[in-house]
Amino acid sequence: MELDEFRTSLDTWLDEHADDLAPEHHGLGTLDQQMAQLAKVKRLTFEAGWMRWGWPERVGGLGGTPLLRAYLGEALTARDVVEPGIYSMTEVLAPTMIDFAAPELAATMVPRLLRGDEMWCQGFSEPGTGSNLASLSCRAARGDDGWRVTGQKVWTSLAQYAQRCVLLTRTGSLDSAHRGITALFVDMDSPGITVRPIETMHGAEEFCEVFFDDVVVPFERTLGEEGQGWLVAMNLLPYERSTSLWHRAAYLHRRLQQLLDAAPEDALDAAGVGEVAQLLYAFRARSRSTQHRLASGERLGPETSIDKVLLATTEQAVFDLAADGLAAEVAIGDDEASHRWRTEFLYSRAATIYGGSAEIQRNIIARRLLDLGSDR
Amino acid sequence: MIEDAALELFERSIGHAVESHTGEALDAALDEVGWLDALEADQRTAVSVLFERQGAANATSSALGWVLARSLGLDSRGGVVLPALGRWDPPGDLDGTRLRVHGLGRGRWVVASTGEKDLAFDVSTAALDLRPVRGVDPWLGLVEVTGEVAGAETQPVMGWDAAVAVGRLAVGHELVGGSRTMLTLAREHALERIQFGRPIATFQAVRHRLAETLVAIEAAQAALDGAWLDRSPQAAAMAKAVAGRSARTAARHCQQVLAGIGFTTEHPLHRYVRRVLVLDQLLGSSNVLTKQLGTELLRTRQLPPLLPL
Repeated sequence: MELDEFRTSLDTWLDEHADDLAPEHHGLGTLDQQMAQLAKVKRLTFEAGWMRWGWPERVGGLGGTPLLRAYLGEALTARDVVEPGIYSMTEVLAPTMIDFAAPELAATMVPRLLRGDEMWCQGFSEPGTGSNLASLSCRAARGDDGWRVTGQKVWTSLAQYAQRCVLLTRTGSLDSAHRGITALFVDMDSPGITVRPIETMHGAEEFCEVFFDDVVVPFERTLGEEGQGWLVAMNLLPYERSTSLWHRAAYLHRRLQQLLDAAPEDALDAAGVGEVAQLLYAFRARSRSTQHRLASGERLGPETSIDKVLLATTEQAVFDLAADGLAAEVAIGDDEASHRWRTEFLYSRAATIYGGSAEIQRNIIARRLLDLGSDR
Repeated sequence: MIEDAALELFERSIGHAVESHTGEALDAALDEVGWLDALEADQRTAVSVLFERQGAANATSSALGWVLARSLGLDSRGGVVLPALGRWDPPGDLDGTRLRVHGLGRGRWVVASTGEKDLAFDVSTAALDLRPVRGVDPWLGLVEVTGEVAGAETQPVMGWDAAVAVGRLAVGHELVGGSRTMLTLAREHALERIQFGRPIATFQAVRHRLAETLVAIEAAQAALDGAWLDRSPQAAAMAKAVAGRSARTAARHCQQVLAGIGFTTEHPLHRYVRRVLVLDQLLGSSNVLTKQLGTELLRTRQLPPLLPL
C-alpha cells in the first residue's frame, strides 16, 4: 500500500466512521475515559486493517512503509479522536519488541498492543536515576525459576493500566554502569508488583511509582541478551523521538488553530503568533524528514535529539501563546474548554523534562553530533 | 533533475568555485561551470547547492539577481536589480513615463508595478547612480542603485511574488551555509582552547551553546527543505525568517564561544557575523516577516496548511 492511496482511503474511512470513533466524553475527559477511548479506537482501526499497516507481518501487521503508521497517528490526532501522548506509546514499545523479543513472544504480544487489548508501560527511571539512566539499581538476579526482580521505578507512564512492562534492570555489579543492564518484558499482574499512581501538576495520574518485591520473570522474557539492556534502551529512545513526535506536531497544529479560533481580538501579539507558526513549521519539516529516513530503512540515532529539542521548544511556545491569548480561561476559567487549555498548558511545562530533559538532549547533541568529546 | 552522479560533480565544482573566487571572478567561474544551465534544469538543486556553499565560504556573486530574473522569465544572465534593503516590493516606481529606481545590485532589469501588472525595464544603458556599499560588510560587494530613467524598453513580467519566494530560499540557504561555518569555527576553537587545564569544550555552558546553535541551524535547514516542497510564497517567507533568526542565534553563540579571538579581524568569524546582518535584511528581515505572518494569521484566523508527510 502506497502512502497516497492509504491517505485517501483512510481519510474516507475516518469520515464515514466519525460517529463510531468519536469519544463518549466531552472535552479532555478523565484519564480513564481517554484510555477507554484509546482502546476503542485501536480496536476499530485494527479490525479495519489501518492499524496493521506499516508493521511487519510476523507481528500481525500487513507490511508496508512505516510512513503509513505515521499518517494514521497524524490523522487520528488531527481529528481529536485520540490523545497523542497515550496513543504514541505503541510507537515506542512495539519496535523494541520487534527488534529484541524472541520471535514467538513478539508474534503473540505485539498484536495485543496494536489491537488495544493491552496497554504497556516503560520502566526506565528510578528515584535515584533520572537523567543518569546508566546508574539504575532495580535488581534482577538469576533464580531457579527465572529472574527475581527487586527494586523501584518511578515516572512510569500509565503503569496502573498496563498489562506488561518493558523493564530495565541491573544484572551486573552495581558499578557495571551501562554494561550490567538487562531488559525484561514483565507481566504487570505478577505477584510482588505494586503500582502507586502519582498525581501531577496537570491533574492527571499519568505517572506511577512501581515497586518490585522479589518478582519472578521467566528467562524467555529477556529482551536481547543478558547485559544488552543499554542497547535496548538506546534503540528505543530514537523511537520516542520520531514517529510519536510527528503525531505531536499534528496535535500542536490543531491546538494552535483552535487558539486562533478562540482568542479574542487584540489578545494576541502578531510577532508572537508569527514566530510560533514558524517554529511549528520548522519542527514539522524536521520531523517529516526523520519519518522519511526511518521509512528508507535508516537507523535512527542521536540526531533525533534535535527533533526532541524542537518539539519541546514548540510545544511550550504554543501554550505560552495560549496563556496570553486565553489568559482568563487559563487562569480563572472553570468550564470544560478552559480546563482543557489549562491542563495542556501545565502539561507543556513537562516537555523539556520528560523523555530525556532539554539538558540531556543538548549533552547528546554536543557529544554525539558535534563530536566535542567527553565533558570531563 | 540533476541525478546522483552528476550532482556530486556539480557540488564539487561549485564548492571549488566559491572557495577560489568571489565577486566578479565568481560570476565568471559560475558561468564556466554552467551554473545558469543547472538553474534552468533543476532550480532547487542549483539554488540550494550554490547559496549554501557561497554562504559557507563567505563568497559573493551576482547569482541572486540571476535567480530572480530566471524566475520572472527574463534573460537570467542580465539579472534584476534587487529590492532596497529590508524590502521585497519591486525596486522600480513608475511616475507617468518616468521610472524611479531604488534597489540593490547591478542588473539589466528593474521591475516596477503598474497596479494591475508588473513591467521589467531594461536599464542596461541608463545612467543610474551606483553607490558601492561599504557598510557593516564591505566584502559583500553590494551596490546601491538609485536614479530616474525615461524611455527604457519594457517587457511585461509575471510572478514577482514567486521570484521573491525563490530569492528568499536562496538567501536562506546562504544564511545556513554561513551559520554552519561559524559553528565549525567555534567548535574547533572550543576543542583547542585550554583553560583551567582542560579544553573549554568540556564545559557544559560552552557545549550547550554549540548544541543550541546546531538545533537552530537544523531547524532552518528543515524549514527550507519544507518550503521547496510546499512551493508557496508563505512557506518561503517562513523559511527565510527561521533562517535569519537561526543565523543570528548562531552568530551570538559562536562569537561568545570564540570570545576574544572571535572579536578580532585576525580570525574569520567577524566576516560571517557581519554578513548575517545584511543577509537577514535582504528580501525581508526575520523580524518583519514574522510580524507580517502573524498579522496575516490574526486577520484570517487560519494557520498555513500542513506540509504533508
